[in-house]
Amino acid sequence: MSERATGSIYDLGYRRYEGLRLGRREATLSLYVHGLRAAFGLGRRTRSKMFPMGLGLVAALPAIGYLMAAAFIDIDISDAIRAEDYFSSVFFFPPAALMLFLAAVAPELLGRDQRYATLPLYFSRALSRREYALARYAAMATALLALTLGPQALLFLGNALVVDSFGGYFKDEWRQVGPIIGSSILISLFFAAIGMLISAQSPRRAFATVGVIAPFIFLPIISGILVNTLDNFIGRLGVFLNPFFVIDGFTYWFFDAAPDFGDGHPLIQADFAGGWYFFFALVVTALGVALLLRHYGRRSL
Amino acid sequence: MPLIETHALTKQYPRVLALDALDIHVEPGVIGLVGANGAGKSTLIKILLGLLPATRGAAQVLGMDVNTQGREIRSIVGYMPEHDCLPPDLSATEFVTHLAEVSGLPRTAARERTAETLRHVGLFEERYREMGGYSTGMKQRVKLAQALVHDPRLIFLDEPTNGLDPAGREEMLDLVRRTGREFGIAVLMSSHLLGEIERVCDWLVVIDGGRLVRSGAVAEFTAGLGSLEVEVEGDAGALADALTERGFEARGEGFIAHVALNGVDPYDAIRDCIVEMEMGLVRLEQRRQSLEDIFRPEEPEAVATSV
Repeated sequence: MSERATGSIYDLGYRRYEGLRLGRREATLSLYVHGLRAAFGLGRRTRSKMFPMGLGLVAALPAIGYLMAAAFIDIDISDAIRAEDYFSSVFFFPPAALMLFLAAVAPELLGRDQRYATLPLYFSRALSRREYALARYAAMATALLALTLGPQALLFLGNALVVDSFGGYFKDEWRQVGPIIGSSILISLFFAAIGMLISAQSPRRAFATVGVIAPFIFLPIISGILVNTLDNFIGRLGVFLNPFFVIDGFTYWFFDAAPDFGDGHPLIQADFAGGWYFFFALVVTALGVALLLRHYGRRSL
Repeated sequence: MPLIETHALTKQYPRVLALDALDIHVEPGVIGLVGANGAGKSTLIKILLGLLPATRGAAQVLGMDVNTQGREIRSIVGYMPEHDCLPPDLSATEFVTHLAEVSGLPRTAARERTAETLRHVGLFEERYREMGGYSTGMKQRVKLAQALVHDPRLIFLDEPTNGLDPAGREEMLDLVRRTGREFGIAVLMSSHLLGEIERVCDWLVVIDGGRLVRSGAVAEFTAGLGSLEVEVEGDAGALADALTERGFEARGEGFIAHVALNGVDPYDAIRDCIVEMEMGLVRLEQRRQSLEDIFRPEEPEAVATSV
């Protein structure tokens, strides 16, 4: 055949693929794993690793410090950092690190596929748009979960070291395990829903990042003004505008604990039962995911 | 089973009618989809892939309905888009392996198929480098590889030679031809260049302004439309006149006469005339008319109506 002549260099014969073809679940799963690796820059150049890894470290810093102190300093610091305070506004920077991580990673997960126009390659495979959006969302939420659950695990370990008897600590404090896991999961799902919905709106990385950070800066300001100036029910509702307060609300509710805030704190002033924050976070998460799915369902290519 | 079948397929964009009651029926092979820019080629491919919903009408790919069995269709077809679609910070190997997995191949199989497919399209050591540094030709090869990696039964190639230099164009066309002939994978390739289609495809679908202009085997388009070139030692004009007298369509100038081959058999007449006129016959060559010759008169009009 004449075409063999020109193609002979790499003509080693085409083989058909007769092997196993997996279904939609495995396809979605592989996209999820790929996204999760990309979230931390694994398998990418070093530059892509720096931000997510660095922010992960920042989020874990109090726990790491505590663990080191517990291991090397011989004074009683037990319960100096309580699990329920870790991602609350009591410590400023773990939740801030979560927010920055979200702003760095969410645009990366969704924006790349738009920027480099790889979406048609995904959508022309046996993968639905919903599955694509869900896999990306799940990757974001899982990446956040590593940042929320990881430090908590270190903290738990630190506390156990402080009291000498690891088994004894676990026996006394096992009730904390449920709230730690529960609040970590909800924080991750809640943040991921907000960040991914915003990131889906722009392929431009810078816009998406600013877009994710903006509500976390401006909403708390509006929220503070509402709660402090309007001395009525509407004003009190303003507390829900602050995503950090929402996290505080359901986290303390999960732990069945009271926050160490002063009387002037908006969360105390608003005085809603913790369950409302839990409910609110669930609704926002569900709404965010629904809108994300709708966004991708409608997207024209 | 027909490869692709559409019935009154219509796509109405807010301001443009991209497909206008299109009826197509093609059998497996290497199919060329020809039309001017904006004729509806990309729209048709996207509808067949289920990437775009049709406004009206029905379409089937490999016997499956585009609206209800989109997922089944997409699992056994490949798609090479017209535009750039490769992330610059990944290597070809990583990217194609990932897409193979998304297509449902287990991890080890995905790796093997990726290595094989990239070799088939002619990417060797470069495949471990980041794709941002690839030439257009290499990028086009990766795009073809990702469409082939899951061993589909049909691939849609949207303007596969776009942006390539003549050598790269030639290599890409050769790859497309091998995909269809040797790999046994049906191909639907769109192009606005008839010459490319003619060299690669065996079936041709011409659309213009979202309507079907013509659909048929490439051989049919050109068969019977060729001419015979007769080189003689003598007056070719006189030979042409003599042939015209006998009822053939011929014209001659200098030493060369052209005789039309519209389903007639002029060979005996040419021999007789040459013998009668005592000329020497130097050369007798059949010249097949190219597709471009057939469509050239329509081209300007096609551009005007497809905006």
